[in-house]
This record gives sequence, C-alpha cells and structure tokens, in this order.
Amino acid sequence: MDILYLLIPLSVILVFFILGGLWWAINRGQFDDIEAEGERILKE
Amino acid sequence: MSSKRRMPSGNLRAMPIVSFPHLSVTNGNLLSALNNSPLKPDDVGLNELSVLDDPQEWSAFSRLDTHRADCWESNLQIEGMHCAACALTIEQALLSVPGVIQASVGAGSHRARVVWSSAQVQPSGWMAAIQTAGYRAVPANDAFARERRKSESRKALWRLAVAGLCMMQVMMYAYPAYVAAPGDLTAEMEQLLRWASWVLTLPVIFFSCGPFFSSAMRDVLQRRISMDLPVALGMLIAFAVSTAGTFDPQGNFGREVYFDSLTMFVFFLLAGRWLELRLRNRTAGSLEALMNRLPDSVARLSRDGSYERVSVRRLLAGDVIRILPGETFPADGVVQEGETMVDESLLTGESKPVSRGVNGNVIAGSHNLSTVVQVRVERTGEATRFAQIVSLMESASTTKPPLARLADRVAKPFLMGVLLAAGISCAFWWAKDPGHALMVAVAVLVVTCPCALSLATPAAMLAAAGTLARKGVLVRRLEALEMLASVDTVMFDKTGTLTRDAMVLAVTKTRKGASATQALAIAASLAQYSLHPVSKALVSAVGFSTEFSKCRVEGVAEIAGAGVSGRVWCDQNLSGVSEAPMQMRLGSAHFCGVKSAESSDVQAYLSDEHGWLATFEFFEDVRSDARSTVLALQREGISVHLLSGDSLNSAERVASQVGIDKFQGACTPQAKLDFLHDSQRLGHKVAVVGDGLNDGPILAGAHVSFAFGQAVPLAQAQADFVVLGSQLNSVANALLLARRTLRVVRQNLWWAAIYNAVCVPLAVVGWLPAWLAGLGMAISSLVVVLNALRLSNNETSMEKM
Repeated sequence: MDILYLLIPLSVILVFFILGGLWWAINRGQFDDIEAEGERILKE
Repeated sequence: MSSKRRMPSGNLRAMPIVSFPHLSVTNGNLLSALNNSPLKPDDVGLNELSVLDDPQEWSAFSRLDTHRADCWESNLQIEGMHCAACALTIEQALLSVPGVIQASVGAGSHRARVVWSSAQVQPSGWMAAIQTAGYRAVPANDAFARERRKSESRKALWRLAVAGLCMMQVMMYAYPAYVAAPGDLTAEMEQLLRWASWVLTLPVIFFSCGPFFSSAMRDVLQRRISMDLPVALGMLIAFAVSTAGTFDPQGNFGREVYFDSLTMFVFFLLAGRWLELRLRNRTAGSLEALMNRLPDSVARLSRDGSYERVSVRRLLAGDVIRILPGETFPADGVVQEGETMVDESLLTGESKPVSRGVNGNVIAGSHNLSTVVQVRVERTGEATRFAQIVSLMESASTTKPPLARLADRVAKPFLMGVLLAAGISCAFWWAKDPGHALMVAVAVLVVTCPCALSLATPAAMLAAAGTLARKGVLVRRLEALEMLASVDTVMFDKTGTLTRDAMVLAVTKTRKGASATQALAIAASLAQYSLHPVSKALVSAVGFSTEFSKCRVEGVAEIAGAGVSGRVWCDQNLSGVSEAPMQMRLGSAHFCGVKSAESSDVQAYLSDEHGWLATFEFFEDVRSDARSTVLALQREGISVHLLSGDSLNSAERVASQVGIDKFQGACTPQAKLDFLHDSQRLGHKVAVVGDGLNDGPILAGAHVSFAFGQAVPLAQAQADFVVLGSQLNSVANALLLARRTLRVVRQNLWWAAIYNAVCVPLAVVGWLPAWLAGLGMAISSLVVVLNALRLSNNETSMEKM
C-alpha cells in the first residue's frame, strides 16, 4: 500500500492539471453558447 | 393588419444603411422595393454612412483603444453573412482600408470588431468597405454590455468548475475515513489524506467562495444580516477548524476535518447561483436589444429643400423629416405631407394598421407601412410616447414590491439565534475545557450550517422551473413561482393571447346568383398576391378547391391600405359571373365602390364591373384551448378578466366565446394599468397574460406576468413566465405546479426547522460530536433536494388538465 503515498500527491497534481484544462476551455469560450454550436451544423 | 411578428428584431433595427428592411410590411410598391435590394450598395446608402462620422455617434458603439493612442475599437453587427468564408471576405475588405488596424469577424456570432485610427480614417470609410463587399453592417451599441455579461458568466462557470472538481476529489480523500475500521488507516495515511484535502480546499475557499465573502463583508459593513453572512462564517470556521485539525491534531480544535462537507456545500450553492446568472443574462440581452428599436438616423429637410441624413439624437421639435415605407418613426410628430398606413400595434395594442393623413399624429416606435410621408417633429427623445412606455415599464419593474421570501423571513431571526447559541455554548464550556468549548461551538455552527434552509426554496423552485420548461413555459424569475401560487385573479390580453394574430373568415355574403364558394375563389385568386392579413385569411379559407384552381388572374395591382384589383376569369362557367375576363376589386368598401355595412368585424368587399359581388367578414381566431383554460382557472377559484385595446364589441365577442364574464374593451395601456392597480389595492393577487409592448407596463406591474413566445422581446424580458408554444393551458398548468411547489417549499422549510430544532439543542449541550453534525447537515440538505425533485415527475397533475 506504500504506493498510495505517491498516488495521493499525484492525484492532487492531476486535479490541478484538469483545472488548467478547464480554465483553457472556459476562456476559449467553449461554454459560452452550448446550443448554438450544435445547431450550426444544421444551418450551413 | 397585425404585424407584431413582423417587427424587426432588436439587432436588425432600421439603420442608416438599410434601405428597405421591412419589405414584408410594405403593402404597395412591392416591385420597386424589390429592385432596391437591401444588399446592393447604392448612393443613398453611402450618404447615410456619413452620419456615423459624428464623434457623438461613433462613441455609442466604439471606445478608445487602451493600447494605442488615437485608436478606436468599434463593434458591429453584420447582416447578410452565411458562412465562415464570408467572415474572411469581410476581414480582408476591412483591412484593405488604410487606417484600419485590426478587424475580426465572428462567423458564428455575426459580430465584427474593428480597431481603427481616427487620424487616418472615418467610420464611414470602413463601413463603406463592408458595403462594397456586399454586406450590411449595423453598429452594435450593446456590444460592451454583452462583453461584460460574457466575462461575468465565464467567471461564474469557472468558480463552479473549480468547486465541483475539487469537491469530487476531496470526497475521494474523505471516503476512507468514513469506511475504514479502527486501525485500518495508519496515522500517516490519514494525515496524508487530510493534507491532500486541505490543498484542494484552498482554491475552493480562496477563489470559489469569493462572492460569498465579499457580499458577507458588505452586509457586515452595512449592518445587515443576510444568508451570505452565516454562509461565509460557516465556511470560514469550518475551514479554520479543519485546517487546525490537519496541522495541529493535538490542539484545541481536535482531529476532525470537514473538508468534504465544506466543498460540497460550496458547490451546491454556486451551482444555484450560476443557473440564476444564466437566466438573468438572457433577460438582460433581450431588453437591451429592444431599447435600441428606434432608428439611429433619419432624413431631415434642410433649408435649401434637400434632405440630409442626421442622427436621431440631433432632431429638434419643429424639424421636418421624411419617413420611407418600412421605416420606424424616430419621434412623435404630425404628418405634413402624404397619407399612409402606420402600424402602432406595439404601442397601442391596436391590431390593425391605422391610416394617417395630413395633420395625423404619428408616434415614435411605430412603423410606416405604405407610402413616403413628411412629418413635422413635435417631441423627441425622452418626451416621446415610446420612451415613456419604456420608462413606465422600467419603473414598474423596479417598484415591484420585493417578494418577502419565506426562507429569508425564517432564516434571519433563526440565524441570529444560531450565532448567539454558538457563542453562548462556547462561553459556557470555555471555563471547563477550552478545547471542548470550541468543539461544541463548531458542532453548533456545522449542524446548523444554513444549507437546508437556504436550499429549501431555490431547490424546489428550480425543480419546478425545469418541469415547466419541459412543458414549454420558461420561468424568468424563480420568486414568481411563489407569487403565482397565491394568485386569485388572472387578466388576459386579447390579441395574440386569447386569439391568434391571424384572422379567420367567418361570414360570406354574395349578391343573388353567385355562390359563396365562387366568390371566395375569385377573392382568393386576387388575395394571393397580397400580404395583408385579410388576404392571407382568404387564401387559407379557400384551401385548394377546384374553383380556385380554375381562376386566372392578370394585371394585379395593390393599392396600399385599400385593396387589390386585377382581371379575373374562370375556366368554368360560374353562374352569375361572366366567363370573360373582368376587372375585379377586392378591398375596402370605398375601394370597391360599394356602400359599407355597419359591423364591428373586419370586412372585405369584392366587386366586379357590375358592382358589388360579395362581402367577407372576419373574426379573430380564438385559440382552441382558450375556453378550457378559462374553465380550468375558474374551477381553481380564480376570477378571470379580459382587457383589450380593441373595440368593446370585439372584446365582448371573444369574452363570450371563451366564457369570460368580466371584460373591458378600448383600454389604453394606462387604463389597463389603472385597472390592475385598482384590483391590487383591493388585495387581489393578479397574474397578467399578454404579449405586446403595450402590455409591458401592466406585465411589469402585475404580481405575476405571462408572455407568449411570439411576442416582442421586450414583453418576454419583462414577463415572469414566457410561454413558448401556442398552448394557452400552459398558464393553468403553471399555476397548478406553482401551488404544488409552494407546498414543497413549506415542507422543506418545516423539515429544516424541525431538524435544526432537534439538533441545535443536542449540539449546544455537547451531545453531538462534530462528525455527526457534518453528516446531519449533509443528510438534511439531501432530504430537501430529494423532496424538491418530486416536482420533476408531476405527470399526474398535468394530465388532470
């Protein structure tokens, strides 16, 4: 079970990486208008 | 004619560049209007652009660039864009203009951002470049407000995402502590898990909880107590206690940590706020768009007799302006020259276009439908009727009495009591054992973490709102559900609410020898060339009958506001009607050269070379479920009223058709509002169902308001509920659901109250360990949410309708 001592800190770091990814996605405007992008394919 | 649906949306205002944007409402001159294709850059269009070179004008849609000196950043709405390639074309066209530094066009949003140097180029320069490329650009005055809303919404989502992700992970770390048997977890492992939880709680506390802390701070400074203060206090103390438990397990605060409860609580609260923010943004967007309904520029007669394009803001009383068909009147005034039909349906509720000759009054915000007129301006800007209606609506919506929410009423004294209890119990135990005293205080604060109380109302409201949305009713303000449950009076508008906008053919009278079907076939064959609602009603009434298909028409001409004429002949020998081509007229009595009969209904006449042939009478089309809705409401003990801007006769007929015995016709917006206030003074809780701008003040003044989805954006924005479909019984359904929702809210509040009444004393006397307090808090909020979810599957009550 000693591996947990490595895995738990790793999981904390992983969370920060995921948060970084979310931050990038939100500020790129990917969640600004969720419906419009899906409908766009029907319009063009 | 009703043209509520044909109003241009806020973003497609009548603007300097647009020549004939409202093609569909020009009754006559269809061909000449078509030749003036709006996409074709013409000389008039380029002249109009120079209006924008006035710094006062451009500052409305531009702002100084912060990075470069003397540079402006402008926002535009582009019309005529189809695809991403269009965006590239426009960008290139803009960048080819000297002085334009940056240009970016959003393919999806149809918005453009231009950075330009005011020393090198004027707005008309690059606006012209867009026009030459084959597109139209409209200054987007609302761009900055939109940007603000967008960043606000992104930030809220980001806070929610941080809280959500950290919550999930913290729960993973907390899980072992809950399930492990004593001795399973080594002390180091437990410590490591706490450390990990603490690290992940930091962003939640310091970033996601920011709004709670800042608003709690504001409340403290203003000596108020609101839900945010105890929430923030609970968060802070829970975090402080947990932090102490993590770093100093032997200290006064003991070894317990509450990171999981804390992050979960934060996430729930933020999720609720985020949903609220999204709803509010949608509302604000449509309101702003409507405020921009008036055109920005207008052709003014100058001293030398020519017309110059000036900004509406520069208009003064006494100016003479020229209004083309399809344009919106920018100010109140008197017609000097010309005779036209104007559509005032948005301002007066009059569903038919009204005729305005010389000395006739026209009002800002109404539409010129048929011919060019010269208008002498009498009132501009704030003094116009349009501005007054808008401000009436705004003030009505701000003076709306704040809904005293049951939760807040209960919560405020309760929270004060809890703070007091925590302090007293801490003080009581302090002398004996400071560690134990703090533990007790923490238990009191944690167990009464106002989660259940603050979730009780919004959770039920959100569940109900979701259910309503699936049934085609959008809820604009959650509190309105609470008010709707106590409504005892419902007032309906007529046009577009109880009735559809369209008309239906009711009666056909013909001269001797001619049959009704033949007359209808001839009338419809002429009517198919016109866009007037009466014409549409005739065409839809005839369907595809054989008589209709045998009629031939040539030389059709439409005289706006009067009727259609043309040569008609029919293959089949119709008795009473000649087989040879004959000049027929369809329209008003005057146009057909016949005597008009007295009637409250809309009438159209058909005449041939021998004179009168037929008379058609039209009714407004009453919604099929209007009667059943009124009955359902009356069964619930609600008194139903009908208020109409139309004549008393038509109000009476519709009222009797749907079973309403209390009705009023010929109401002005002010009269409707007075009636509403009278009723409210008598202590009635009133819901108003309406659609147009003329309903705006009364919708805003009512306790609860419904608007139909085809309505103009303004009424939507101001109404508490928006009905998306054309089902009138959604109103009755919403009312039933609101009553159930309030019951659930009461149950929730009772549950929260009882839970706290039991647990707080236990915590105060020190019988409740902190971990049990945390669990109790989690369960109490879970019960509240689950109870609220019962509102989601309420098929039974809906089927009853």
